[in-house]
Amino acid sequence: MSDQTRTTGKSHIPPNSFLFEKIVPISLIVMGIVTVGLILFAAGVLLGIIHF
Amino acid sequence: MSINQILPFISTAVMIWFTVDVLQRYVVRRNPAFLYWGIGLAMFGAGSFAEAYLSLSWNKWVFFVWYLFGAALNAAWLGHGTLSLLVRKKWVHVVTGLLVLGSLYAGTLMLQAMPKLDETVFTTSKPVSEQYGSKALDAGETAPAGAQTFTTTYRGKEVTAVRGLLPLGTPVRLTTPFFNIYGLLTLVGGAIYSAYLFWRKRVMPNRVIANVLIAAGALSIGFASTLTRLGYGQLLYLGELLAAIMMFIGFRVAARPQPDEVVATNTIAASAD
Repeated sequence: MSDQTRTTGKSHIPPNSFLFEKIVPISLIVMGIVTVGLILFAAGVLLGIIHF
Repeated sequence: MSINQILPFISTAVMIWFTVDVLQRYVVRRNPAFLYWGIGLAMFGAGSFAEAYLSLSWNKWVFFVWYLFGAALNAAWLGHGTLSLLVRKKWVHVVTGLLVLGSLYAGTLMLQAMPKLDETVFTTSKPVSEQYGSKALDAGETAPAGAQTFTTTYRGKEVTAVRGLLPLGTPVRLTTPFFNIYGLLTLVGGAIYSAYLFWRKRVMPNRVIANVLIAAGALSIGFASTLTRLGYGQLLYLGELLAAIMMFIGFRVAARPQPDEVVATNTIAASAD
């Protein structure tokens, strides 16, 4: 991408949006917890604590 | 053909489209992140195709592709693409070297395991992910219904084990959790972290949504794989298809310019004429 065509604008998150105020943060928290759970599960398998 | 035999073929088609799209962007922009994602997606696609093939027939080299690319390596390479956007280049080079060496090592171990495959246990009636590994049963643990068992000496003890395609204690299986932990941490963790950064700064809503979709897609396959290994394999193919679709949509949404970005781009381009 050349300097002439590089984008400079940044769109903004709309204020008072239910999607961005409620659903996105809750999704991020839930996914973070599930990720940690899956990593602990995989680590448990690796260390031989969980057998399958 | 049942729905469970059709879904992996649809996932494969989505992944081929996705892979070509990402590699085309690498050719144009020369950003290594696209190359790492392209490699990971190609592995994901190869794994999906191998799984689809193994739901119809047996071939030990298709199984090789399924295990090495589909079960062991693809998440790590996908996550490595995300990591390369978040850390300094120096560290990306170091980790890329380790990932290449690790992948070659896993490939070598898989080649060594090939002559020891127990092909007689293979059936097309179950997903390959439910039958690839032999498993030693704990004291008092019963084998799943229909499973074939045998008695052997394992780690100095006499154990009863469920027969699988790969023999008990195959070294290549020990490498898989390393790749998957790295992949989960970087792909899902990286997407959640990126979404959070954009959300906190209140900018680029498309990138927020895109990263949420990428994280959700990657988690859906991780979750479905874990359920499969716990004996609930019915959702695996659906999880894979959801993962392919959500990550592809996420990637397209992230790459799509926002209305004011288009205006800014056009303004700059016009003023340069």
